[in-house]
Amino acid sequence: MTELEIGQEVELEFGGKAQVLSVIGAGGQGTVYLVRFNGQKWALKWYDIDKMKKPKEFLKNLRSNIADGPPDNKFLWPKYLTKEAEDGTFGYIMDLKPDGFDSFVDILNTYKLEVDPLTGRAVKKDVKFSSLTAMITAVINIVNSFRLLHRAGKSYQDLNDGGFFINVNTGAVLVCDCDNIAPDGSNFGIGGKPGYMAPEVVRGIAQPNVQTDKYSLAVVLFKLLFRGDPMEGEKVVRDVCLTESSELKHYGQNAIFVYDPNDASNRPVRGIHDNVIKFWRIYPDYIKDAFIRSFTTGISDPTKRIIENEWQKLFIRLRSEIIMCGCGRTNFASMFVQPNEKTFKCPKCGMEFATLGFSNRDYRMPLYLGCKFYECEMSLESEEFMKVAGELVENKLKPGVLGIKNCSDRIWRAKMPDGNFYDIAPGKGFPVWQGLEIDFGQIKAQI
Amino acid sequence: MNIENLNNPGANAAMNNAASAGSVNTAPADDLLDFDDDPLSATGVSRKSLVIFFLIDTSGSMKGKKMGELNTVMEELIPEIRKVGEADTEVKVAVLTFSTDVKWMYSTPIPIEEFEWARLRASGVTSLGAALKELNARMSRNGFLNSPSLSFAPVIFLMTDGYPSDDYKAGLKELQANSWYKFGLKAALGIGSEANDNVLTEFTGSADTVVHAYSGGQLAQMIKIIAVTSSQIGSKSMTLSDDTSHELGEEDVFAAKQKLLGQQIQELVGNAETDDVPFDTGW
Repeated sequence: MTELEIGQEVELEFGGKAQVLSVIGAGGQGTVYLVRFNGQKWALKWYDIDKMKKPKEFLKNLRSNIADGPPDNKFLWPKYLTKEAEDGTFGYIMDLKPDGFDSFVDILNTYKLEVDPLTGRAVKKDVKFSSLTAMITAVINIVNSFRLLHRAGKSYQDLNDGGFFINVNTGAVLVCDCDNIAPDGSNFGIGGKPGYMAPEVVRGIAQPNVQTDKYSLAVVLFKLLFRGDPMEGEKVVRDVCLTESSELKHYGQNAIFVYDPNDASNRPVRGIHDNVIKFWRIYPDYIKDAFIRSFTTGISDPTKRIIENEWQKLFIRLRSEIIMCGCGRTNFASMFVQPNEKTFKCPKCGMEFATLGFSNRDYRMPLYLGCKFYECEMSLESEEFMKVAGELVENKLKPGVLGIKNCSDRIWRAKMPDGNFYDIAPGKGFPVWQGLEIDFGQIKAQI
Repeated sequence: MNIENLNNPGANAAMNNAASAGSVNTAPADDLLDFDDDPLSATGVSRKSLVIFFLIDTSGSMKGKKMGELNTVMEELIPEIRKVGEADTEVKVAVLTFSTDVKWMYSTPIPIEEFEWARLRASGVTSLGAALKELNARMSRNGFLNSPSLSFAPVIFLMTDGYPSDDYKAGLKELQANSWYKFGLKAALGIGSEANDNVLTEFTGSADTVVHAYSGGQLAQMIKIIAVTSSQIGSKSMTLSDDTSHELGEEDVFAAKQKLLGQQIQELVGNAETDDVPFDTGW
């Protein structure tokens, strides 16, 4: 019973029946169906056990994952197992992908195909992040979900572009295909997707684990930001045909990062890798350095790979360095002119941006109307990178006067133009001026 | 934030003071603006290309039910193959038909998203040898495999219902010297009982990538199994080895895809049902 019929009922392990309504999609290990269970719609993954190497162990692992529950709500986690069919086939149900999320594959392609129900013709529809903040927020969310997963002692194993759904307007992320997740050190037959697999997995000398996940995560992040393959450059393209042995060579034995500072043999090729060439000019050095490390020393030494917490910090910094200029230009601070160490200037319209320096960081945050401060940036212990703690706004009663509003639930203290510090209660604000100093509690900041 | 917008004289002074605090000018404005610097404007990631060649026998013996069935299943197949490529692979289709003459359905491989099946008609004899020669001529960097980016080795799928009426061995010999053919994924479908197994096995190089269809239902099933499986394998490549005690070498991975294709086809064919009326019965 590899395939289920529409209308067929599948019994769940702990009672109840799920009725098959339609096919959602097919993958390497089985098929996903839309089902009705308990009056609600769910997704049912039904396995083709002939294609699995260790179905019994796989099922056992799935059962313990369900018992453990997801590390947090960003995972479309298996919910209930079905009863095993007579031939040993089984499946599980999970929540459906909510509306408003696009697959990572569609984001990389920059479009999705929607089939017109009348003509049956596939029509291309653009898929693109609506803001730079949404894109970097998506990166932070991806990194954070893997951090939580690895902290729970598990590895994802099959990390690739099919594993995420992303809301391109908010940067919210859902991790899907969670059925291969296993305790670090175990593997139930999944190898991964070429291009995303760590070189030691490609070479056949390691099975997927937390360290190989870190490599795959770096590939996912590189693809999302630079829109290309980190290992596909001149050296690879020269092979013309990617046979099994050239794949083993270029992604395993002799993988060379396209921007390896010590090896220029595999640089991106204009006309083929234009995205990578362009975006490598745009991103600041601290982001590029992290990728260089991941894909040079991190190739042969898995312990040198960037850990999730480090990525998280780098991208929280990158988000705080986005400048939305009044002229419409939005970019990272590194793409603005810096006439002095405290000021950024738009190269297009000449507008200048003051910056805030913080007591706990060695970089400055540019200020612009609408820029946000997050909880994790205001307190040393907080990891809340989505909760807005402050925002730069225009005074409603004094148009043209800009200030910072306290959106947190704590009292701040700020130095006003009269030279004295005042309490700034939640919901209140203070003007930005030349001598501004702010005391957030543990962290202090000044213009 | 433009500090001049602050209705606050102190703020302007701050700017002026800061400006004199030593320049850390990173890059001149021109350098930052001499290219499209929008971090959100990207083109799709560069995809590897995979061409699926269908070699289809349109000789007179294919007339009627066989051709009707084949046309229908090919139309239905296109949307299924569309899903295969995802973000990594651009799948293209080229159809070569052979009867008395050899003819391409379109003059160049067509991306699967735009491909539309042109219904085929049957008449004439089975010039397989000429077809293999034509395939060899086009299967080159200057011919149909001219993607500027990387390509996967092509999928080559032969469907025929009879014994070749020309010297197929000469054509095959030419083709066998072609590297694209050597590394490509080859599969063949014999339609009805007249199709010759030996010829098909010679073409694919292994018996497990040759299957038969004796009825309309089977024909549809086999075409789908072969086309979908081979394009999946062709566009995704090798999987993991279970044994991590020795490092993989070139000899371990050589023709790994063709072997995998043989295994999967045999598994799927074994599962397929065979209970409808044969092509040659019931007249």
